[in-house]
Amino acid sequence: MENSITLTADLDALAKISAFITTAAERCGLDERATWQVQLAVDEAVTNVIQHAYDPDQPGDLTLSWQCCDHRFIVTVRDHGRQFDPSAVPTPDITSPLEERQVGGLGIYLITRLMDEVRFEFSPQGGNLLTMVKYLPQDQPASPDDVLVIPIHDRIDALTAPRLTSMVSEQIGKGARQIVLDLSNVSFLSSSGLRALLLIRKELMTLGGELRLAALQPQVYEVFTITGFTQVFNLHPSVAEARAACAQRH
Amino acid sequence: MELNHRRLHRVDLIEVVGRVDAATAPQLKQLIESLFAEGRHRIVLDFSRLEYISSPGLRVLIEARKKAREWKITDLEGGDVRIANLPPRIKEVFDLTGFSSLFEIYGDTVEAVGSF
Repeated sequence: MENSITLTADLDALAKISAFITTAAERCGLDERATWQVQLAVDEAVTNVIQHAYDPDQPGDLTLSWQCCDHRFIVTVRDHGRQFDPSAVPTPDITSPLEERQVGGLGIYLITRLMDEVRFEFSPQGGNLLTMVKYLPQDQPASPDDVLVIPIHDRIDALTAPRLTSMVSEQIGKGARQIVLDLSNVSFLSSSGLRALLLIRKELMTLGGELRLAALQPQVYEVFTITGFTQVFNLHPSVAEARAACAQRH
Repeated sequence: MELNHRRLHRVDLIEVVGRVDAATAPQLKQLIESLFAEGRHRIVLDFSRLEYISSPGLRVLIEARKKAREWKITDLEGGDVRIANLPPRIKEVFDLTGFSSLFEIYGDTVEAVGSF
């Protein structure tokens, strides 16, 4: 099966892309719910391109590609239209009452909630490139001594923290007790993110487990030094050293 | 998407079947707005056979409810857009976007129609 499709960015593309990505997600081993989540996220991304990247009477191309590797289903959407700036789209307040509820911004919001990683990039030659990643279910029923290393690929802030918490909780639910979060790709940690990490640490400790954080970027490490949490968390310069510390404990 | 419209005495019942996305949402919007234009502001959307909804569809729902509620006979009685039957996947979208608390949602069409 071809893992890329290029279409004119108009409304006719939606149904074709939906069918294309659904088949791909199933082939990659995503379950029914994850497949549906990917389908909705991709539909939102493509709708965004159709409505905002090009002039409606002169639609350009969009290219959707996918790959399946390393327990991840990765989808990219590329267009050569107007530069998209995700920071210009306000995050909708989903708790506001009907009268004050804004109608826009839901598409991008849904994408970030449905996928595990989302990245927007732009270059004058390449155009807009949106990369969305869905993690495949990992089926390792862990023994208490196994070390589970989870790479985190996003900012840890109020928006992403709930997802991080639920993802780690799921692993704890499956039996993981020695967890290392690989933070090498985390460029930002907010106070909400820190709170989420504290809760995860507490949950693990009550179960006799341990949380370790590895490969912190300097600006993330600084959050720990400023708040004094360097003493509370097990921080390690690298994943290898975090693993070694787990091994030593036993 | 398929829209099955039934005109009841005080309420309009619209069954929304299939997919509501950017391509089909305008049809739903058009039907609802044509009812508003006739002065009919009490609408029940039956989602029992709705398979899929994305943000353009959500947008139509929110705009429709806002508009319907502007029409009032008394403070207690007026227009509204209410929903009957929310399949699990659609409920998940509603929960993610906070729509679950923005709409009155009923277990079946009888209950939803009777709520007016």
